[in-house]
Amino acid sequence: MKKRILLSAITVCFLNSCAEPELESNLDSELSDKKEQNRKPFASNYSAMSSNLTLIKDANIYDGIGNVYLNYDVLFDEGNIINIDKDIEVENATTYHSDNKWLTPGIIDIHSHMGVYPAPGVRTSSDGNEATDPITAEVWAEHSVWTQDPQFTLALKGGVTAFHVLPGSANLMGGRGATFKNVPRNTIHDMKFPNAPHSLKMACGENPKRVYGNRGQAPSTRMGNMAGFRKAWIRAENYKKLQAEYYEKSPSARELLDPPMRDLQLDTLAGVLDGNILVQNHCYRADEMAMMIEMSHEFNYQITAFHHAVEAYKIADLLADEGICGALWADWWGFKHEAYDMVPANIAIVDQARGGTGCAIVHSDDEVGIQHLNQEAAKALIAGIRAGYDISKARAMRWITSNPAIAAGIFDQTGSIEVGKDADLVIWSGDPFSVYSIAEKVFIDGALAYDYFKDSSQPVTDFDLGILNPTSERIVQ
Amino acid sequence: MKKIIFLALISVSFIQAESILITSGTILDGSGKNPFKADILIDGARIIEISSGINESRADRLIDASDKIVTPGLISPISNIGVVEINALDVTTDDESSIYGPGFSIFYAFNPNSTLIPWNKSNGVTSAISTPGYSNEIFKGMGSYFLLDGKYDITGLQDIAMYARIGNVQGSRSENIQLMESMLLLAQKLNSDNISELLDDNLASSFGLLEQDIIALNKVAMRELPIVIEVNRAADILQALRLKKIFNLDMILMSVEEAPLIIQQIKDSGVPVIIDPMDNIPNSFDELASDIKLGGILDKNGIKVMFSTQRSHNYHLMRQGAGNAVAHGMSYKNAIRGMTLTVAETFKLKDRGQIKKGNYADIVIWTEDPLEQMSYPLSVLINGEIQDLTTRSDRLTERYTDTNDLPKAYIH
Repeated sequence: MKKRILLSAITVCFLNSCAEPELESNLDSELSDKKEQNRKPFASNYSAMSSNLTLIKDANIYDGIGNVYLNYDVLFDEGNIINIDKDIEVENATTYHSDNKWLTPGIIDIHSHMGVYPAPGVRTSSDGNEATDPITAEVWAEHSVWTQDPQFTLALKGGVTAFHVLPGSANLMGGRGATFKNVPRNTIHDMKFPNAPHSLKMACGENPKRVYGNRGQAPSTRMGNMAGFRKAWIRAENYKKLQAEYYEKSPSARELLDPPMRDLQLDTLAGVLDGNILVQNHCYRADEMAMMIEMSHEFNYQITAFHHAVEAYKIADLLADEGICGALWADWWGFKHEAYDMVPANIAIVDQARGGTGCAIVHSDDEVGIQHLNQEAAKALIAGIRAGYDISKARAMRWITSNPAIAAGIFDQTGSIEVGKDADLVIWSGDPFSVYSIAEKVFIDGALAYDYFKDSSQPVTDFDLGILNPTSERIVQ
Repeated sequence: MKKIIFLALISVSFIQAESILITSGTILDGSGKNPFKADILIDGARIIEISSGINESRADRLIDASDKIVTPGLISPISNIGVVEINALDVTTDDESSIYGPGFSIFYAFNPNSTLIPWNKSNGVTSAISTPGYSNEIFKGMGSYFLLDGKYDITGLQDIAMYARIGNVQGSRSENIQLMESMLLLAQKLNSDNISELLDDNLASSFGLLEQDIIALNKVAMRELPIVIEVNRAADILQALRLKKIFNLDMILMSVEEAPLIIQQIKDSGVPVIIDPMDNIPNSFDELASDIKLGGILDKNGIKVMFSTQRSHNYHLMRQGAGNAVAHGMSYKNAIRGMTLTVAETFKLKDRGQIKKGNYADIVIWTEDPLEQMSYPLSVLINGEIQDLTTRSDRLTERYTDTNDLPKAYIH
């Protein structure tokens, strides 16, 4: 995983194809020397907050991968879960008696615009859509993220421990998304989720054709959207070929030639074709999603998730067959024509496709929704039950934990309560599917990042400080 | 074929004026009274008796509500139901006028076939006030009240409140507040002056005020029409309250995200408020004090609270908002009241909003606590008629979960 990420953001990564394993390893050793000296630009510089050996006693657990454990203990140290069992006895651990409260993995949102559309939502800090060209694969959302967005801490209070920030959907290819740990830090690099892959935000449907059609430029139709995508992929294929031709030459031959010009936009697209950058695809209509899948076959890349996908239920089996997640709302509809055919069982239908092999995610795309993803999951769950499916709360918990972790490419590190995983955990005041339950304690990499009952364990951004009253904070606890 | 459970398929819309007995439900009557168990007898459109052990022989039809929660139908105090079908498709929206200002009425646009009606009704909303939409106008126009029975013979109340806003604008909010005051002063003159003289007034001609606009504003100034002012910044709320005092307005405040900073003044003014309890985002510099505890703080100060929701088309989500308000300090009884009787009282919706002898039978029977998101309506009555709760979503779900090999277009 580390290697893939190291390679993904730089030109030479295009050697990293499955067909050329030796080249890949040569390259890797070359690069690792450099890496010793310098952190790669824009790479994660995250380090966990300090924590102790910690024991949570007597918790009811939804583990995020479909299981429920009643009255169990969870032990974590140095940021990782080290034991899950009944009656764990250990000395010198900071101990929380959860008294049969519920413990879940930290909530993960696969679709956020926090930081790029921070609060207050004013022109001067609306940095989420580089709506100046339909293809802006060269921009990176993380370069817009404002670390002092007060929305981060609000999401933390909702139990969100990691989130994926995407560019907006004005463009066909809006740029790279990045994943963050929900820790208050002063630089983006210190928040970036270690070893998490980038994504490419793509958008089909009404938005790109409206934004550019209104300016009298392409795309102004859905067929224009498709042409725009395909032209970009053809350029990316060509770019990959030129890069490969150069790097396949012997080192001595290379000395005689200038390396091909690096192109930031095509770096991203080639990264997708190489499988290093995940495709997060905004798309509502079933027929358009099927079209996007056809295109992924034409250019041989994998779509990781369709986002919003109000009509995912119409092609749920196809999504399961293709291994594509549906990142969906519980009930949003009607704000656009392509969001008209909403069914509340959408998430459940995607989840249950092909014998329950579908990948369903409850996403927010919203600064309020991200604070209540547990409630959104509750709505989706009851809709599934009413549609006749036998779905448990333990399974529904996957929609806001392990499945978004999978779609963000971080499931090897977080998204479930398992030994060896990051201790990203939430203690809820009650049933996490109840509207009355609040996140009482949130742990990120084993450190207590938020405590509902303790003012000193509640982060306050620079923005929140003294803004209404110089001697106080924006929100008085 | 998957089971789609249409619990309300018992509805037969042709039968009217029948008598219905709802037995053994746990009733939250909307007034804030403690829940109680009783039978409800309905004859025609109205509730005629609430007591224990009503003889079943007195009703044409029985609904067993044992182990269920019975509430008044929810009333959305602010919605676009019936006047907006698809927000981003202007040919389907009728909530804005470029001709009228305060005199704009959305009433004639109401579409009883809107898909928003069965959707919101099946989620427990039996009636709604639909209002003019977002615009930069100082006075946006008037909202009307509609029953969500989907009948062409529309039951409702036309032009029951004026909508306005104070706050962040491109020009100066001071200018807007001055204009608001001046326009109300001008409209007041209608009591003594001829309308044509008022239309010739500089202010009227500058802002293109038409006769309807001045008449509507006159009603506001004469306390015949309540005015809902959307306002957030603490200082702006005080300005709204100043106007209330000058003109003795029947005022309702909306949004009020900075209310906790000046809670005493709001309390003293006696205004009820409409809030979105889940909107704790400081979306603008007018909303810096935005906090999820808003509902609880208002409620603890005895201020009447109603609920809006930001989510287009899902006005029923006010119950999720109410639930979150309770999770953060609001009393449960006032949360239920805020979706029922408080709305009826505030907007003078006579004989609605409460399960009470003599009132219209707008009633919802819930599987469990209606504030929980896994609760849902089993039966909905409007004016004593059992509603068919089938939605377009149900039809689509049924079609796409059907395992028949036929092309989907043949499954219907």
